Amino acid sequence: MKRNKYFHEHRILLKGVSIVCFMLFVFTAVPLLHAAVEVSADITPRSFPIDRAAAFNITVKGVRSFQPDMPEVDGLQFHQRGKSSQVEIINGAYSSSVILTYLVQAERIGKFTIPAIEVNTKDGTAMTKEVIFEVTASQTSAVTPQASSSGNPAARLRSGEGQKLAFLRVLPAKDKSYLGEVVPVQIKVYFRDGIKPNLNSLPQLHGDGYVLQQLGREPVQTREHVNNIPYSVLTWDSAFSGIKEGAHDISMEIDTTLLLPEQRRSTSLGQSMFNDPFFSSFFSSYREKNVKVASPSLGLTVLPLPEEGRPAGFSGAIGDFHLSVSASPVELAPGDPITLNMTVSGQGNFDRVQAPKLSTEKGWKTYTPSSEFLKDGGPGQGKKVFEQALVAKDPALKEIPAIEFNYFDPAAAVYKTLTAKPIALTVKGAVAKAVDSVVPKNEQAEKEQKTNAESVQEVEPPLGGLAPLKLNPEPMDQKLSPLFTRKWFQILLAVLLLAAIIAGIMKNRATRYANNPRLQRDQEMKHLLGLRMAEIDTALSAHDTKGFLASCRKTIQEQLGLVWNVEAAAITLADLKKRLPEDSVLLGVFSAADESAYGGQELSQQQMQEFSDHLKIELEALI
Amino acid sequence: MSFFTQTFISQFRVSSIVGVCCCLLFFGQNVCADEKAQEDRFQSAASAYSKGDYKKAIEEFELLAGNGLSVPLLYNLGNSYAQDAQIGKAILNYERALRLAPGDSDIRGNLELVRKDQGLFQEEQTLGQRFIALLGLNQWIAMATIASVLFIGIMLFPLSPGRIRSSRYGLALCCLCVSITACSGAIGQYQQWHDGVVVASDARLRVSPFESAASIGTIQEGRLLRPGKIHKKYVLVVDEAGRSGWLAADAFEAIANF
Repeated sequence: MKRNKYFHEHRILLKGVSIVCFMLFVFTAVPLLHAAVEVSADITPRSFPIDRAAAFNITVKGVRSFQPDMPEVDGLQFHQRGKSSQVEIINGAYSSSVILTYLVQAERIGKFTIPAIEVNTKDGTAMTKEVIFEVTASQTSAVTPQASSSGNPAARLRSGEGQKLAFLRVLPAKDKSYLGEVVPVQIKVYFRDGIKPNLNSLPQLHGDGYVLQQLGREPVQTREHVNNIPYSVLTWDSAFSGIKEGAHDISMEIDTTLLLPEQRRSTSLGQSMFNDPFFSSFFSSYREKNVKVASPSLGLTVLPLPEEGRPAGFSGAIGDFHLSVSASPVELAPGDPITLNMTVSGQGNFDRVQAPKLSTEKGWKTYTPSSEFLKDGGPGQGKKVFEQALVAKDPALKEIPAIEFNYFDPAAAVYKTLTAKPIALTVKGAVAKAVDSVVPKNEQAEKEQKTNAESVQEVEPPLGGLAPLKLNPEPMDQKLSPLFTRKWFQILLAVLLLAAIIAGIMKNRATRYANNPRLQRDQEMKHLLGLRMAEIDTALSAHDTKGFLASCRKTIQEQLGLVWNVEAAAITLADLKKRLPEDSVLLGVFSAADESAYGGQELSQQQMQEFSDHLKIELEALI
Repeated sequence: MSFFTQTFISQFRVSSIVGVCCCLLFFGQNVCADEKAQEDRFQSAASAYSKGDYKKAIEEFELLAGNGLSVPLLYNLGNSYAQDAQIGKAILNYERALRLAPGDSDIRGNLELVRKDQGLFQEEQTLGQRFIALLGLNQWIAMATIASVLFIGIMLFPLSPGRIRSSRYGLALCCLCVSITACSGAIGQYQQWHDGVVVASDARLRVSPFESAASIGTIQEGRLLRPGKIHKKYVLVVDEAGRSGWLAADAFEAIANF
């Protein structure tokens, strides 16, 4: 049984080793068996200008190294730029490849064919296929001034633009405009890809006869291809308007700093090997160059506004406008103000748009309107809202008359008048109020007549109803400044604050005293001791032994009474003996005082002085 | 002390007293003379006003205002400007007069009349605004100060502990309430003290503080504005409707400069 078990265990071990070996064989030998050598060649891009280079790659799969036999092609130069290896395992499939990269530069324009290239590997020789490509003319020289004359002007380079790293275009909506008319214009600055521009100014208009609206600080940034060349484009949408009749040449200019890539140069050929933007971005540094990008001169004409058909109330508004009017309240009492809201919307020179006017102002008192411009859309588009107060002077008025607005339509080249319909009003209590309002007027007229009779010199003021002048000048020492900015008030406040602080401290101390019995007792003891010591000193100086000892006795009783919290007069020699140490001075003085009171003991001056000194020291120690 | 010294001291005292008296007399006379001249000019300006010569009245009143202010002076200036159709200046001077005497019905009445005549209708005041307008800034400040002093006094110096303690605390609470109310009134009034008035007839609000900047719209002469920051010759203002923009500084005058 033991033997069988041994063989069984070894059989399992042998099976495991066999599986591992098989796996190793599969992972190493099988891929090698399937790794057949494949060779390919390709050029990117297949068409490129003569001033650029293309990347030519030879890829050999299934080898770790190889050596191509590069052919000589008339008009082409090959420059080896790198070698890379690649190993891929995709879904268990193993592959390795080596790529050799050459830069191909052409010496002439035309179609080229790179013939099949022989590739020598350890496993043998393989051949690539032919590669055909085209070399075109240089982009900078290919664009001729004639090229701009055909096709879409926005997508074609114009004269002189091809040679420039950056150029500016001014694209007005039209070449001819009327005096004061707002002409939308697009200002576009093109920067060739790879150049990093910094703007030092906004585009400036050069030339007379036109003014440009303020440009936004943030232009729209886009990318455009012009003649298949990519450009970064900054666009400002604005408008200009003619201010002087006649033909004018204008141009625009913008001050920029361009960060230009500094390209590496081939020492052997003396030409750029890294014209390709991909390589440039990796291998180039940048240098700054201040450039003023200017647009070509643009011929524009400012036409005068026609005299024929010009309305009397024409304010200079040119464009395409619409008018809407509303009023509130429309139900009112006589004399109540009405707010008229008039909105002129559309596209045009809103600077010159003035408030529409009532067709007739008879019976109305009108006030200066306020206005507000609200931009809505592109340059010159929006609406101007006017708010005007009206008061009907005539209570019989039943409607706000029609409101008119005149402008010049440049598209139709005629003056137009927009008219809003009359707005009906409901005047409440018109008759009653009208009568009421007449009475005070008559009274006022009578008063005025009387006043005129009294004082011939006085003149009727233009603004009636004002309260008369004040004839007492009063002291002219007042100031239009708040009290807290005046010195005296600041000093007063400081004094009050100081007083409050002092009072607060005092109150705090008083509170502390009131809430502290020990402090109160100490204060009282001190006070009483002072009084009694004065009595003792008096008796001492008068050599009045009886009085001296009586004062001493009283002092001891008072002080100990306060300390022991008992009635002072009730304290006897027995109490002192009980509560004081035997050698206490107070005991001796009290005993002498008792003897003096009952036996008439006399003391010498020196003894009295000693008693006084000791008593003072002893009692002060109690406090 | 010698007789000579005593005589000298007594003579010095006498001459000092005489000198001080002379000085007082001299300055007193000068002060009186100045007051008399001011009063004469005031009456002359009032006379020019009553004759319809408003420009002369304005000139005379403005000369007086250069030396010092009083409520009648500002009020009369307001009247003169109103009659001379300088509405912005008229409203400015009425507003100034109201800052000094908020309860004066003549000033308030004339201001309302001028505003109404020019279509400068104001939004109706809220209850709080009407309450704040009851007193001027300085009156609110004085009230707040007195109430605060009384409050502190009552709290620090109790008249008698025990018997009138509750009355004392009640009084202190009243003072505190008055003080808080007066402070609120003062803050409300102080905000209005920064306002100004449009004094030019064709003032334009602009989006930026430059001559070439686009105009937001016109703003009527006499409108009350609240000024913000200043940039060169322009001031950022907010009008009663909440519209904000840059206004030329010479088209705007602050009611109180401090």
